[in-house]
Amino acid sequence: MIWIVKNLWLIPALPLFAAGIIAVNKQPKRKLAASLAIGSMAIGFLLSLCAFAATLGHGEHGMFREVFGFNWIQFGGQWMDIGWVLDPLTAIMLVMVTFVGMLIFIFSVGYMAHDENFMRFFCFLALFASGMLGVVIANNLFLFFVSWEIVGLTSYLLIGFWYHKPSAAAAAKKAFITTRIGDLGLLLGMVWLYAQTGTLNFYTPEHTGCLEAVKINAMLAAPPAAGFAVVTAIGLLIFLGAVGKSGQVPLHVWLPDAMEGPTPVSALIHAATMVAAGVFLVARVYPLMSAGATLTAQGAPVTTALTVVTWVGAITAIFAASIAVAQNDIKRILAYSTVSQLGYMMMGLGVGGVAVGMFHLITHAFFKALLFLGSGSVIHGCHEEQDVRKMGGLNKFMPITFWVYFAGMLALAGFPLLFSGFWSKDEILHAAHGWSVSQVPFYLGCAGALMTAFYMTRQMALVFSGKYRGQPEESHHGHSAHAHSPESSAQSHDPHESPAVMTVPLIILAGFAILLGFVGTPAWPWFDGYLTGEEFKFDPSKLTEPGTLGLMLASGAIVFTGLGLGWFLYGKRQRKTAAEKDVLEAAQPFIYKLLANKYYIDEFYEATVIRGNAFAAGLCDFADRRIFGGAVLLVKYITLGLAWLYRLTDEYFVNLGFDTGCEALREGGGGLSRLHTGRVQTYLRVIGVALVALIIFLIWGRKA
Amino acid sequence: MNPVNYLQILQLAAPETIVTLTVLVVLGADLTLLRGKSIAARFNAGALLAVLGCASAAVFAFTRQAGQMEFNLFSGMLVVGQSSDFVKVALLVLTIFTILISTSGKFTDHVGEYLSLILLGTLGLMFLVSAEDLLMIFIALELASLSLYILTAFNKHNAKSSEAALKYFLFGGMSAAFLLFGFSLLYGISGSTNLPEIARGLSGKGTDPLLIVAMVTTVIGFGFKVAAVPLHLWAPDAYEGAPTPSAAFIGAGSKVASFYILAKIFTLGFVGAEGSAVWHGYVAGWTPAVAIVAALSMVLGNLTAIVQSSVKRLLAYSAIAHAGYMLLGVLGNTPTSSSALMFYVITYALTVIGAFGVVTVVEAATGGDAIANFAGLSRRAPGLSLCLLVFLLSLGGIPPLAGFIGKFFLFSAAVGAEKNLGLLWLVILAIAMSAVSFYYYLRVLKAAYVQDAAEAAPAIKVPGLTLFALALLAALVILFGCAPGLLTQYL
Repeated sequence: MIWIVKNLWLIPALPLFAAGIIAVNKQPKRKLAASLAIGSMAIGFLLSLCAFAATLGHGEHGMFREVFGFNWIQFGGQWMDIGWVLDPLTAIMLVMVTFVGMLIFIFSVGYMAHDENFMRFFCFLALFASGMLGVVIANNLFLFFVSWEIVGLTSYLLIGFWYHKPSAAAAAKKAFITTRIGDLGLLLGMVWLYAQTGTLNFYTPEHTGCLEAVKINAMLAAPPAAGFAVVTAIGLLIFLGAVGKSGQVPLHVWLPDAMEGPTPVSALIHAATMVAAGVFLVARVYPLMSAGATLTAQGAPVTTALTVVTWVGAITAIFAASIAVAQNDIKRILAYSTVSQLGYMMMGLGVGGVAVGMFHLITHAFFKALLFLGSGSVIHGCHEEQDVRKMGGLNKFMPITFWVYFAGMLALAGFPLLFSGFWSKDEILHAAHGWSVSQVPFYLGCAGALMTAFYMTRQMALVFSGKYRGQPEESHHGHSAHAHSPESSAQSHDPHESPAVMTVPLIILAGFAILLGFVGTPAWPWFDGYLTGEEFKFDPSKLTEPGTLGLMLASGAIVFTGLGLGWFLYGKRQRKTAAEKDVLEAAQPFIYKLLANKYYIDEFYEATVIRGNAFAAGLCDFADRRIFGGAVLLVKYITLGLAWLYRLTDEYFVNLGFDTGCEALREGGGGLSRLHTGRVQTYLRVIGVALVALIIFLIWGRKA
Repeated sequence: MNPVNYLQILQLAAPETIVTLTVLVVLGADLTLLRGKSIAARFNAGALLAVLGCASAAVFAFTRQAGQMEFNLFSGMLVVGQSSDFVKVALLVLTIFTILISTSGKFTDHVGEYLSLILLGTLGLMFLVSAEDLLMIFIALELASLSLYILTAFNKHNAKSSEAALKYFLFGGMSAAFLLFGFSLLYGISGSTNLPEIARGLSGKGTDPLLIVAMVTTVIGFGFKVAAVPLHLWAPDAYEGAPTPSAAFIGAGSKVASFYILAKIFTLGFVGAEGSAVWHGYVAGWTPAVAIVAALSMVLGNLTAIVQSSVKRLLAYSAIAHAGYMLLGVLGNTPTSSSALMFYVITYALTVIGAFGVVTVVEAATGGDAIANFAGLSRRAPGLSLCLLVFLLSLGGIPPLAGFIGKFFLFSAAVGAEKNLGLLWLVILAIAMSAVSFYYYLRVLKAAYVQDAAEAAPAIKVPGLTLFALALLAALVILFGCAPGLLTQYL
């Protein structure tokens, strides 16, 4: 076994350790906190690179996979193992999470520089990273779940980091509770899986893990439950966990609200890593999802579970993209964009397999982190302004931010050939096109791609081109969260470029946003080969195959259409003031309102689930106060009555009797003690009497 | 008979030999080296020597008792086995504690003699534990008894002490005579003085009147030793009159050995003559006789204790009551009940030494042992009264103290001993009577914790060694209550 497999635990343990040290230190040791957190991530990143290098070689079954585990908890006769697995899926995620995480940590040093709870922030960040890395390396659904919950907890803590803002506190609760609904499904799936297979280990050296052929076949043979094959039912329950965490419809509502947290948090948790955990979960349990599949023409498996994944993903993709069109908060646009892109990933997993979905996950992590951090830089530069209508013309004030943001936007929109998003999205669309069940997801995906290009162009145009529409005197009001340093408030209220500690990570991320696509082009599908362990070679002719080429051309056309439309509507005709109506709003007020209000999903939930919950709560309250409370009161009065009765009995019967009894006992004692005369003659006589009495007693008994 | 191997005798009787040597050393040292020193110094030095001797004997017996075979010398004169060795260890430990609480005593200036007599008494008890032959039993019993008589009389400044000793001696002499008479009858019936052979000789003879007389005299002889009603009359006087450490020794070590040998005589020697003490199923034998004695002891001991005003007399009557409980263990006549009995009697002995230790200190400080003298003890000597709390609650049988678990073992063994819960009547009586016993234990504790001292009473200075011994005892009482397995594994 390679050393890195044994020591893989160090990667999540280091940030955990850092978080612990930060937590026990007194404020304000900013340097210590930041360097511990960043240092732990940097070492984690180096270790991840080693792990990644180890997985480049091929293992016994075409793919490198080694596990390490030991006994942890005993239930009855069975041991729960704790352990980790190193395979390409783990390695690529490790590299991505540690690297992006490290950059975001560095960015946060600048972004949070003036926050008084700087240490707390880094403590939570490090704890989050630890949980996320635990999710990634876990070779056991139980350990996975534990880490998953750590991630959920830290997400809650970080969204509500500025808990003095009621909206942040509410968003934190919303995120926690909404994802908890999904977690319930995951927990049920986990328990059921354990009941079925007797293990929660994904892979074991003996090939008896719950994701390995032996157990999967056993589950396939099990009688169906409630009309589902057992394996499908378990897969869907686990997928429910992924739906919650990855913000899929209908549990997406928390993700946009989560933007109340500090922007680096949005970038780290709600763009690059945590939300991807759901996608990663599906990828991890892919063998379960694809169990008993029929294969499509392209070799992608089709099962009920994967079909559900595909549909949920496709609907999420278009649904969220359409909402993003009509949002005005820079982070909310990105949030809905994230939801939409997560939908793409799910769809990719459903129609094409692990490699397709994961490729988009990785590229998306980079460019979305870039976009979020870029938006953070914009917000920072515009004095905490988040409304895109009040920005404009920022390319002059913040050139670096503009260029990197532009790169991220093109990557997200899927600008052909050059940008990573194009290749990864194209692969998903390609797989969807070949999906044998239905073509609808493909069209939904195309429509989503069009909207993506459109809303990103809209955002770019509103933020960076034209004239600055910010109103200096207003910008002071929203400042409560960040105490600006004296020099910045002394300056004019024009936007300013962010410091290097923030821009350098952006530049690095921008580089990856562009380049990363080339590891998974149809001509050189390295990523696919790496994850699945299949052989591949460099073959430019694949690019020009009719199916592939046509699709690439079509998708390019869609992207250009979107970009053109966006530019036509928002770039050419710049809005004059912040208060002016949106172009779309003027043209289609009804649809715009519908989109701006996110299809009224929140209101719908408010009217149904929350109202229902409130009603149920009211009912319970009523029941508690009136019915149960009444019962308790009744019991109380009965008890009081009985107590009164008992007291009477006690005082007048028992106590009297007891007192008499005690008196009798005492008197008896006194009488008996009088036997004790102190005269030794009597004593000796007693011996004689005793002898005679006992002998008589025994002899009499013998005759009887 | 095999040729006598003296080396083997020496080896098997090594703990006894060590104690004998200690007696000589203590006596010699006190008469030579320590001559002219202060009483306290003599006491401390002598106690150190005695404790060392006892401790080494105990360590020797303890280390050899693990996994050892049974050795039987001269057809039962000296039987060395695992259980007897462990009881010897217990006896030696109890003696050590007795010596530790004596060191602060001011009742005598004959320190060497006092300590030697305690050791000699221990020696007698150790031989008693090892004996399976009537002659050896009697000789050992007499060695122990004679030492105890003298120890009772040791406070020469107190007329009560001499009076108590005389009563004790007369009573003891008489019951010894009865015992000897019974032994001679046993020898006459069975033709042997060895317990297992007596049992063989008795088998098939039924319960003839001579045997019954022998049984009753045995009950009387040992009933005297353990202070069971109606052979208890010496006990309150002796406990009250004797120097308190002597009383502790009578109440503790002597009781452990006596119960051990009593159970041995009945279970080994009177096999087949058990009879039955089952309610409505009475058959003549030794169990009904013991049952009557047990019932009487429990009732009389507990009820009489209620009206006592002297704590030492109270402890004497409580000892009588406890003897009644312990007889249940003898009655049970099963391995479970005898190990429950030994657990009970050993933990009881530890507790009672502790209680007497507290009384010694209070007596020295206040000049008396009346319950009134304990008033306000919790403020005058908090540590001491905490120990007293532990000891008295354990005697009453409050969990998680050793007294509770001992009672639990003992009563459950007795309930399970006979078919159809035959001994339930005695157990119910025992439980009812132990409820009564709380009354008088709590009277003492109430004085210590609730009542105020009569006048402005100064804090009581507790001698360090005594407090150490008492704290250790209290800790043991709690420990054996929480982890009885530490003790039961050897029983």
